[in-house]
Amino acid sequence: MDPFVEMSVRLGIPLALLVVTYFIGTALERRHYASIRERESRWRNLPAITIRSIPSHWQVIECTLITGSVVISVDYFKRFLAGLRMIFGGRVKAYETLLDRARREALLRLKEDAVERGCQAVVNVRLETCRLANARKSQSIAGLEVLAFGTGVKLLNVP
Amino acid sequence: MKFKPSLPEDGINVSHTHPLREALLLVGGVVAIGAAVATAVAVAVDLAAPHIPIELEARLFSGWIDRGVEDDGAVAPRERLLAQLLNRMARHWPENPYVFEIAIWDQPEPNAVALPGGVIAVTNALLESVESENELAFVLGHELGHFHSRDHLRGLGRGVAFSLLLVALGVGGGGSAVQLASLAGRFAQRDFDRTQEIEADRFGLALLAAEYGHVSGATAFFEHLPELDGPLEGAFASYFSTHPLNADRIRALHAAASEMGWALRGERQPLPLLSPAR
Repeated sequence: MDPFVEMSVRLGIPLALLVVTYFIGTALERRHYASIRERESRWRNLPAITIRSIPSHWQVIECTLITGSVVISVDYFKRFLAGLRMIFGGRVKAYETLLDRARREALLRLKEDAVERGCQAVVNVRLETCRLANARKSQSIAGLEVLAFGTGVKLLNVP
Repeated sequence: MKFKPSLPEDGINVSHTHPLREALLLVGGVVAIGAAVATAVAVAVDLAAPHIPIELEARLFSGWIDRGVEDDGAVAPRERLLAQLLNRMARHWPENPYVFEIAIWDQPEPNAVALPGGVIAVTNALLESVESENELAFVLGHELGHFHSRDHLRGLGRGVAFSLLLVALGVGGGGSAVQLASLAGRFAQRDFDRTQEIEADRFGLALLAAEYGHVSGATAFFEHLPELDGPLEGAFASYFSTHPLNADRIRALHAAASEMGWALRGERQPLPLLSPAR
């Protein structure tokens, strides 16, 4: 193949993908953070805490399992940055915002689940992460799941 | 115990470096390291290549190239003619340690390659495009020049070294990073090839002058191929092509001929029976 054409194809396609995914990814991230902050302040008065036993002064009528889960995947640009980071080491900054969003979103969904079930609080909240393997390429990761779960309680006296 | 409502802190779990700054820093680092390692490997191979004994080279690489030998074991007539011409040219390189062999490849691009073990491969398209014995003699002389400075081993050695390097990188890094490093390596490689080509041209020219008493026909091969460099123009083109642009090489050949006092004009010998169609 003509070296100029070969060079353009080999460089051009990944470069175009990087630019496109950078802009799309940035826009989506900004929108998601806006939504996260808005909902966090909306539900801030609903306790979702890691305490293991229910405080003695709470009068619990009912309790139930509450969950909130998020499945996320990495965009091309972030994967590129993280790939380079794997050479030099250090904070994988590209993934930090991604996982931060996933954790906060999972907790928000947990709270929204609790509200839907009429709970006034969630105790013993835990976060779990599991990676989804890519079926075709066993080494690569298709995505991550972040699962938040806890015990939702209906109370007689709201704390 | 009282529940105190609060919002999560932004910025403890997330660093606020701009992603483009991060990208620039990392890409710059990879390119710099890639170029440095590629240069180091190239220099190491260049230093080592001339010290590889020729017997070892012949033993390592014998039998892995299709030499175009016919089924009954007899050498085809075109190969024999080429080998005769090649040996006439090689006579003018008295300290030549190689036993040369000819291979003819069926490829659409006119090209000739010096391969490890003393094999010179020429393509059918080249044989069809040359118009005189002198022209072909120069092409063969040019390939002999590569053997003289052992460029064929350098090229191969670099190729092997770079592949090993990329495999090593591939274990630790992502796909895009490896592509990037490979590109940086290829750029560093290009420059060496061009000076080697000019060097081999000069060697071929000296053999041509010794054989025929003049260097007529030396530039004919390049003059046949202006269209090969058609889509590429200017400095950009010459950077991306392995072989220096033909006009550059023709100029260098003319300069070398006038420097050494070799006549550019002279009678060219006809070329009998090289193309199968003829």
